[in-house]
Amino acid sequence: MEPRSVIVGRIVWTVLIVGLLYLPIISIVLASLANTRFIRFPHRVWSIDAYREALGLGLTYDLQWTSLKVAICVAFLAVIFAIPGALAFARYSWPGRSVFQKSLLLPIFFPQSVLGLAALVTMSAVGISPSWQTAVFMHLVWVVPIATLIVSIRLYGFDVAQEEAAFDLGATRLQSFLAVTLPQMMPGIVSGALFAFLLSWANLPLSAYTSGADSTLPEWLYSRMSTNYAPMVPAVSVLSIIASVLVVMIFQLIRLWWRRHIEAGSD
Amino acid sequence: MEQSARNGLIAVIPVALLLLSGFALPLIFIIFTGLMPPRSFGLLEDPTLANYRTILEEGYWRPIMWSLGFAIATTLVSLALAWPIAKALVIHAGRFASVISILIAVPVFIAESVRLFGAHLFLMPKGGILAGTVNALLGIDIGSILFSPLATLVGMIYIYLPFAIFPMTLGLSQVPPEQVEAAKDLGASGWQTVRNVELPIALPGILIGGLLVFVLALGATAEAAILGGQSVVVAVQSIEQRFNYAQDWPLGSALATVLCAITALVVFPLMRRLDIDRLFRR
Repeated sequence: MEPRSVIVGRIVWTVLIVGLLYLPIISIVLASLANTRFIRFPHRVWSIDAYREALGLGLTYDLQWTSLKVAICVAFLAVIFAIPGALAFARYSWPGRSVFQKSLLLPIFFPQSVLGLAALVTMSAVGISPSWQTAVFMHLVWVVPIATLIVSIRLYGFDVAQEEAAFDLGATRLQSFLAVTLPQMMPGIVSGALFAFLLSWANLPLSAYTSGADSTLPEWLYSRMSTNYAPMVPAVSVLSIIASVLVVMIFQLIRLWWRRHIEAGSD
Repeated sequence: MEQSARNGLIAVIPVALLLLSGFALPLIFIIFTGLMPPRSFGLLEDPTLANYRTILEEGYWRPIMWSLGFAIATTLVSLALAWPIAKALVIHAGRFASVISILIAVPVFIAESVRLFGAHLFLMPKGGILAGTVNALLGIDIGSILFSPLATLVGMIYIYLPFAIFPMTLGLSQVPPEQVEAAKDLGASGWQTVRNVELPIALPGILIGGLLVFVLALGATAEAAILGGQSVVVAVQSIEQRFNYAQDWPLGSALATVLCAITALVVFPLMRRLDIDRLFRR
């Protein structure tokens, strides 16, 4: 065993760093509770006027809607790409597989802002004007590799013999895939979709260059916080944070439910 | 076997098309545009290295050096900060491990502009959350690191630290505890155990985490803009300026190509050492 002091030290360190990760988020919440044009903490008057203003503003909904629209499309399409991608990554053995495995990692290990700028140059050369649809496409370039990896992890634990057995018993290839392999991949697919949604929802560097006039929430906040501050800006931020946290929580509940009912039931 | 090979070649098509059109093509465009004469538009002029000469002669390499420095520092500090956390998560956290992991993961899903804005509000001088609280409680005025290169670095570490923690935790979780015990029983010191037992097994995870942090920090802009103010210009900011204000796309593209080249120089040698099947199968 390691000395007690080392163990206590590590635990204190972990709690401290996790706490520090949340300081900026707490700061936004505190800043949003003012009604003055300039932040001067501690506030003389604490108020929720900023939230009233943010919720009464159509723009808030427009931005959330653009972000949501993009994130839902990305989550849905990412899974469509990731299912065959993961099969090629982890299930089948074919010439060029190891090259594919490494190429798939390249967009992840690449500065997103540079990719966004490169896409912008390409689009203007080809004559495509940037919009939320092009933002979806560029998010996919970055998110699909991640979703593919997540689905692959699940596939590595899959016993190929099960699908073969279904085929030998007279099912077609497609039937045995749909009835045996796909359900096995399901937890990975759900995780992949959630990651895709959240990564797209929170993305700034790719959206900044490829969404054109369709501003997403992170983009709008980025421009407003530097030029035109008001307590409404942190209030809108807090609303978007709540949305992210809600999605994570809903997902955790789905996962728990899945484990209790489906996986426990099949054993 | 042949069936498997055919299935694989069919299954790869959608992702391959996506990456060719959305990743390879833009990179080729950038490289070509970088070879066009300064301030030209279109891709049909005679190729020239004039932009690269401008980068060397007119100081455009400076923002790239800042970004490189920030990326190296962010990587080293993040890995050092992450090590005790990864150890705590793998060895001591027990049933709290998943709760702590979620707590570390949630901020990743909040836009970095939002979180950096929070850091800005926290660090602001005079009426900021930190300075205001200290002033109200103790009646003293503390300074602020806001709008300095240090603030930019702190912002990058804050944003990219989770990307170091998770792969490192994954790597460390593959170290068999019995091997560590055995090394200790045989008289290995703490450092010897880390170097000869834990590091070799956890290395792929640490490398992946370090690589992620390095690459993300190399392309970071929001940290410098929101926390660094005008104190330093980082690489992507200077590229952006060439594109937007100067309308010099060839020079901007050449700068972007340099950044891609640095990324490739770091990513390719490390990637060659990764055995992906082994990494995932566990």
